[in-house]
Amino acid sequence: MTLLEFARGPALQWAAVIFVIGMLWRTLGLLLMLRSRPLSKDRKKGLAGAGVKTMFSRFLLPKVFAKRVGFQYLLGWIWHVGFVLTVFFFQVHVMFFKGLVGFGWPALPNSVVLPVAAVSLGILVILLVRRMTNPMLRYISNFNDYSSVIVTILPFATGFATFTHIGVLPYETLLALHFLSVALLLVWFPFSKLFHVITVLPSRYILGVKFWRRGVEA
Amino acid sequence: MTKTDLTLGDRLQARGVSRRAFLKYCATTASLLALPPTMVPHIANALESQRRPSVIWLSFQECTGCSESILRSNTPSIESMIFETISLDYHHTIMAASGHQAEEARKIAMEENWGNYLVIVDGSVPTGNMGYSTTAGESNIDTLKHVAEGAAAIVCMGTCSAFGGIPYANPNPTDAVAVSDVIKDKPIVNVPGCPPIPAVMTSVLAHYLAFGELPELDHLNRPKVFYGQNIHDRCYRRPFYERGQFAESFDDEGAKKGWCLYKLGCKGPTTYNACAVLKWNEGTSFPIEAGHGCLGCSEPNFWDAGSFYNPLSTATHLDAGTVALAGAVGVGVGAAAGAAARSQQKKIKAAPAKAFTPTKAEEESQ
Amino acid sequence: MTEVITKQEREEAFAMFYGMAASIGELADPAPEMTDEERVERAKEVFLKGIDNNVAVQLDACLHCGACAQACQFFIGTEDPKYTPIHKLDLLKKVYKRELSPLSWLLKPFTPDITVEDLRNQVELVYDSCTMCGRCNMVCPSAINIGDLVSLNRSAMAAAGLAPAELRYMRDGQEADGTIFGADEDLFMFRIQDIQQKLGFEIPLNKKGADVLLMTSGLDIHLFADATGGAIETLHHMGVDYTLATDAYEGANFGSLSGYDATKKKLTKHSTEAIEALGVKTVIVPECGHSYPALRFGAAEAMGRPVNFEVMTVSEYFGRAVMDGRLKLEKKSHPKPIALHDPCKVGRWGGVFDEPREILKACGYDLHETESNRQYNFCCGGGAANFLLPSADKLKRVGYRVKMGEIEAAGAEELVVSCGSCRMNFEVGKVKAGDSIPVESLAAIIAAHLPKKETVEGDKV
Repeated sequence: MTLLEFARGPALQWAAVIFVIGMLWRTLGLLLMLRSRPLSKDRKKGLAGAGVKTMFSRFLLPKVFAKRVGFQYLLGWIWHVGFVLTVFFFQVHVMFFKGLVGFGWPALPNSVVLPVAAVSLGILVILLVRRMTNPMLRYISNFNDYSSVIVTILPFATGFATFTHIGVLPYETLLALHFLSVALLLVWFPFSKLFHVITVLPSRYILGVKFWRRGVEA
Repeated sequence: MTKTDLTLGDRLQARGVSRRAFLKYCATTASLLALPPTMVPHIANALESQRRPSVIWLSFQECTGCSESILRSNTPSIESMIFETISLDYHHTIMAASGHQAEEARKIAMEENWGNYLVIVDGSVPTGNMGYSTTAGESNIDTLKHVAEGAAAIVCMGTCSAFGGIPYANPNPTDAVAVSDVIKDKPIVNVPGCPPIPAVMTSVLAHYLAFGELPELDHLNRPKVFYGQNIHDRCYRRPFYERGQFAESFDDEGAKKGWCLYKLGCKGPTTYNACAVLKWNEGTSFPIEAGHGCLGCSEPNFWDAGSFYNPLSTATHLDAGTVALAGAVGVGVGAAAGAAARSQQKKIKAAPAKAFTPTKAEEESQ
Repeated sequence: MTEVITKQEREEAFAMFYGMAASIGELADPAPEMTDEERVERAKEVFLKGIDNNVAVQLDACLHCGACAQACQFFIGTEDPKYTPIHKLDLLKKVYKRELSPLSWLLKPFTPDITVEDLRNQVELVYDSCTMCGRCNMVCPSAINIGDLVSLNRSAMAAAGLAPAELRYMRDGQEADGTIFGADEDLFMFRIQDIQQKLGFEIPLNKKGADVLLMTSGLDIHLFADATGGAIETLHHMGVDYTLATDAYEGANFGSLSGYDATKKKLTKHSTEAIEALGVKTVIVPECGHSYPALRFGAAEAMGRPVNFEVMTVSEYFGRAVMDGRLKLEKKSHPKPIALHDPCKVGRWGGVFDEPREILKACGYDLHETESNRQYNFCCGGGAANFLLPSADKLKRVGYRVKMGEIEAAGAEELVVSCGSCRMNFEVGKVKAGDSIPVESLAAIIAAHLPKKETVEGDKV
């Protein structure tokens, strides 16, 4: 079995299995935990609506924080949009998902996706460097933080190398490394902070409800 | 003077081939092998003065496609004459003799040239029930072993002998293996392809004749000169790949415009062969030019590397069933983890509080 | 307004009170003796009881992006990484990962247990350098409720016997006699009678079936009589059927701020029972930030059942009255621009924003909003009882500076606040920084803008 065969086959298969198990494990485990409910009267009505509102309003940064947090918010925004566009709208990736789910969707032209991916990769590197050099971020960062960024950088880096045939390695090795890095990302995903994909919106909902109960838009 | 004693030069003259045509052939061979022009006289000289080496062609689990291919080099071309430069003493398909006489010819050739003859193999070697493939009552593996014993080198023509090929494909009912899985102590050249390009086959032989040694090989024992670059890198449709212009089906606009066939499963990027350069049928065309993606036929396990029509960027082992199974396991583990957390929470809540109760020190002092 | 306390009286009281407050740490009983194991065990018990599904989801949503630091005035003022708000939840996260997370089977081997050293290091992080103002909650992209979880940390610290001596003193005192700073019933009666004399009408006490109960606090009794007096005068002016009560006058709850949950519950339960016995419909908690959530959201929790009286804070009650026309205030000319400080516990944690603004508008003030206002407001720098911690002096100054910087930038020359401890902290901060901006009580401002009446119904002089 060649490296590419391993990567396209068992590696991705097992990674996906671990990914699915891990995601469901953590999600269901959280869902099933007991929840305490407040007894005092709410100051406002429409808690669920307020929770949903916070889920979306937190995508934007309140103006008062713009000076201090604006830069990182912007980077985060561009990064996430770039990630989604690259992963789900790059032609070759659409093919991958079509092979997986049986249907495809329109892809973006390479001339759009490639710069987007380059910017996303650049931002990830900036965020990593920032985490390593900013004293506050370095202080609060742990293994999970560094590894999660690196594990996310790898598919981008190998993807670029594969598409552009950069480097001394032959195409099939680059493609295999790309698949393997994706497999690593899938395995790492449910057990690391990357899991925030699942928890961020519920978490916002929780605070939105909690604060609206007190009459405050969170 | 026996037939084998004549040099190529003698024979060419006898057949009325001009010196000019011969040198042209030598130049072609040199360029195919990426040798400098200064080597042309050397090749001519070597071929001219070379005595025809004995060649034994063994056919095991094969379809004769490789033989067909090597014979399909257009006649009268100098390539077909190369067969006059070797003494093909044994070849099931094309030898005149049959039955015991044929086997006898092989034995004589082996005895007379022990240690010097060249063995060409097409077809894979079954290692399961020996009855799967025999010649004159002898199993393929036994034949291979004792013919190989006196060979100077072995050339595996085609993917089956080189890597196991189609007989080796899942579920491999005959337990077929490649020649290199059986023979470990002889130089082996793999000339894979299903079939290999005729000129590639003849050029490898020419190299052996000219230099008395095998050409430079890659990690899969393929001559680097032909298998050093992948189809994709040399493909005339490559610009469309870079631009992201892909044919989505075999009859859409993209296909008509000759766009890249990656989405239709082309294995060009992972296939190392000279198809895009040498092409087939005297340089007429090659599969991609004919509108079909490369199958990757010269690569190991090409038959089992996912569908020919699935793009390379897809997973091969992932399917809804696997994911569903993982989902079921995940739900189980998640439910168990949740239940465990829940009961832990209940236990903590129900346990008598320790916080803000007298400490041991306080209890003792009272 | 009738002046119930002169400026000079207030300044003298303030000096005396501040001297007293500075030494309470030395007066505290020694902390309970505990072995290291006991401390860890007790802290973990509190942590684990506090982690429900909501907390778990929020802890699992943290990305360590560090945005919270940029919202925290202690980080902004010091740039010290250890004051990053989310870092204050690291112990909680550890316990969660090890013991309760759905992934605990997997994470336990990689997550060391917390130690008594961890707990000791945590004290500064959750007391001195955090007022649980919750501003970080508002910037967090995952909307993690860091403020509340620091409160859980304080509970764990208290359970581990590590609460600062000053807060232990306050809590012990209130546990024993229900009030703070020794403002017992006698002192309360003394102050009420004093105010009564100055206002010139009788203040109803323990009146069963009254509509409204007005609470006060030890701080107001000692120091900010103008706040209590202003509220009483306004209630009287409005002709509200109100009362004060001798067994439900203390609004402060130092069980809550110190982390002593049992005390917190006990105090709230005591007040709630007294309130229910009086049968009032509405309770006005004093200008004391945390007393609002302590009763408004804590009463039902302490009783284990819903309660059927309304709880409002002073600014909320009178602001509503202004908004629906029950209270008319006299517009006066105020050439000096004024800034409003939204106390965290009443604003961000209580939703009272519009009411004080309506009051100021009705009084004719030129309100200059600070850049961070309403739910994004900066803390005064000494909330959550931190104004009592000498160990936090430096941080309090830092926090004060950040806050005052915004007030100055807003061009305000006067500050109005509806919280005694914010006021206290501003006053101390002013002294230390040499600032001179006047800090006023909102209740006192309301009283100062009551229109003059010829005769008031039911007025007994």
